[in-house]
Amino acid sequence: MRARDLSGAARRTLLVVLGLVWLFPTYLIVANAVRPATDYDPSDAVKPPSKLGLFDNIGEAWDRTNVGDTLLSTGLYSIVAPALAVLVGALAGYAIVVLRLRHGFAWFVVIFAGTVVPFQMLLVPLFIGYSKVSLYDNRLGLILVYTAINVPLAALVMRNFFGNMAVSIYEAARMDGASTFRIFWRIYLPLSSAALAAVFILEFTYVWNDLLFGLTLSQTETVRPVWAELSALTTDVYAGTPVPIALAAGLVVSLPTVVLFLVTQRLFTRGLTLAQF
Amino acid sequence: MTANDVLPGRAPVIKGKGSGPGGRGRARGGPGGGRGRGRAGRFALFGRFRFLYVSPALVFVAVLLYLPFLWTAYLSLTTYDGLGSPAFTGLDNYRRLLEDEALLTSIRNTLLWVAGTTLLPVGLGLLVAVLSYDLKGGSWFRLPFLLPYAMSGAGLGLIWGFILQPEGMANQVLSFLGMPGGNTEFLQDGPRNTIAMIVVWAWQQLGVNMLLFVVGLQSIPKAPIEAARLDGASGWRMFRHVIWPLMRPLTTVVFGLALVASLKTFDIVWVMTQGGPGRTSETLAVTMYRDVFVADEYGYGSAVAVLLTTITGLASYIYLRRQAGREGT
Repeated sequence: MRARDLSGAARRTLLVVLGLVWLFPTYLIVANAVRPATDYDPSDAVKPPSKLGLFDNIGEAWDRTNVGDTLLSTGLYSIVAPALAVLVGALAGYAIVVLRLRHGFAWFVVIFAGTVVPFQMLLVPLFIGYSKVSLYDNRLGLILVYTAINVPLAALVMRNFFGNMAVSIYEAARMDGASTFRIFWRIYLPLSSAALAAVFILEFTYVWNDLLFGLTLSQTETVRPVWAELSALTTDVYAGTPVPIALAAGLVVSLPTVVLFLVTQRLFTRGLTLAQF
Repeated sequence: MTANDVLPGRAPVIKGKGSGPGGRGRARGGPGGGRGRGRAGRFALFGRFRFLYVSPALVFVAVLLYLPFLWTAYLSLTTYDGLGSPAFTGLDNYRRLLEDEALLTSIRNTLLWVAGTTLLPVGLGLLVAVLSYDLKGGSWFRLPFLLPYAMSGAGLGLIWGFILQPEGMANQVLSFLGMPGGNTEFLQDGPRNTIAMIVVWAWQQLGVNMLLFVVGLQSIPKAPIEAARLDGASGWRMFRHVIWPLMRPLTTVVFGLALVASLKTFDIVWVMTQGGPGRTSETLAVTMYRDVFVADEYGYGSAVAVLLTTITGLASYIYLRRQAGREGT
């Protein structure tokens, strides 16, 4: 018994030491994002801020960069594309396991294998192709790409989820004369809201944090997603941006995904467990 | 029947497999599917237009993933600067790859990323998970590791790019704490810049790996552990011979995901250094991006993309085979 207590104490000590090491950069980032830009001095970076300048810093970041414009488009992409992907994936999953599509598994493999394609293989053709059909630097173009890359995951989760629902529901509704689409829309979708939400959150976060497609397929600030725009803070474009302003911008733009995740954490774990990922 | 009855894990459910009422076979695939029921009967039950439901997914995947994939494969055999049309040049691009020094650096950096990412965040994540999973208040001990995970790869690059500047906070803090290296140029020379970015990446990624391991550890069946404890196993031996084997399927997945992701590292490098200075910190994904969108070498960049895809595919294949082999023995 005593030996185990001892090892418990040793484990706690090790965890606390490691935890402090990990917390230190977090502290450094937050402290200097909160510090008024004019008070910033790298040699005093460790000291806690004496005045609160976070909101001024955020405002300044808004004025200096196009974050405001890009946030609107980013929000649009992160909501519309995952919603579309979840719907398209659910339709496919429904056809494959509930409607027992012929060669359903083969079709599923075709859809899911899309996740194996590294995005680097897509960039050149998308850039050239989009330029030709005027989808380059176009919100619709980005929505389409973001949807496509998210369809395979949605199809996987929804196929597994529907596969675990009782067939008797389907048969009963069908005997009552409901159309296949009505059964999908009125019974299967509502019953799988937890799984739908879990996939949606994952994909929302993915689209929100995307850099690669934003850099490649857009140019103007009204179309460009936020990280593609903010990444310019480290290059010449915004050279001379005070550190606290860059830090504050980085933190604020990270916030939506964190909040979404925290708010929906329980739903999230439930949805994924149910989908037997 | 209420909603709860249909959710898996709550109540026994009739799975879609096997024969349902009326000796119905599985209609999907294979001979015998749908035997004993005419075409008309199947349509009556499942509707006539089942294929319409998968077609949107197939169209998205085919047009925006597979078609570009094949197109890139073709472009890698051409010389193309984005104007006019691609000129077919066979394997020229691939021959050029062999002699490209920047590509060698890029491959070395990518391998550093693979090694660093699988060792540091995954290894340390496992360590923290094992230390904390059955402690009282374990989630409090884990909180510091989870906070950095809030940042995206680009956000991480943005923030740490400022911290690691020569005049930045990192150096000032080192001097402040009286530690050596107060004037290190973290991002100026290779491979130091790559290593610095890997450490930053580890700082962020530990949390999610730890979380996956904690979930795995907490769902390990208790019986074998108790049995081993009664037999006098504890500490390292308990971990090595009881817990670790039980965790195998999970570690396979976590390592595999980290491996594939590390081969495609782009965001943090692009934001922090753009692969520079002088291409010293490029990874394959950055090299590909630079060749195409900075140097306008569409054909050559496509060849780099094909190389990256081949490496990723091979690595996943070898990894999965090794794992499967181990499980077999």
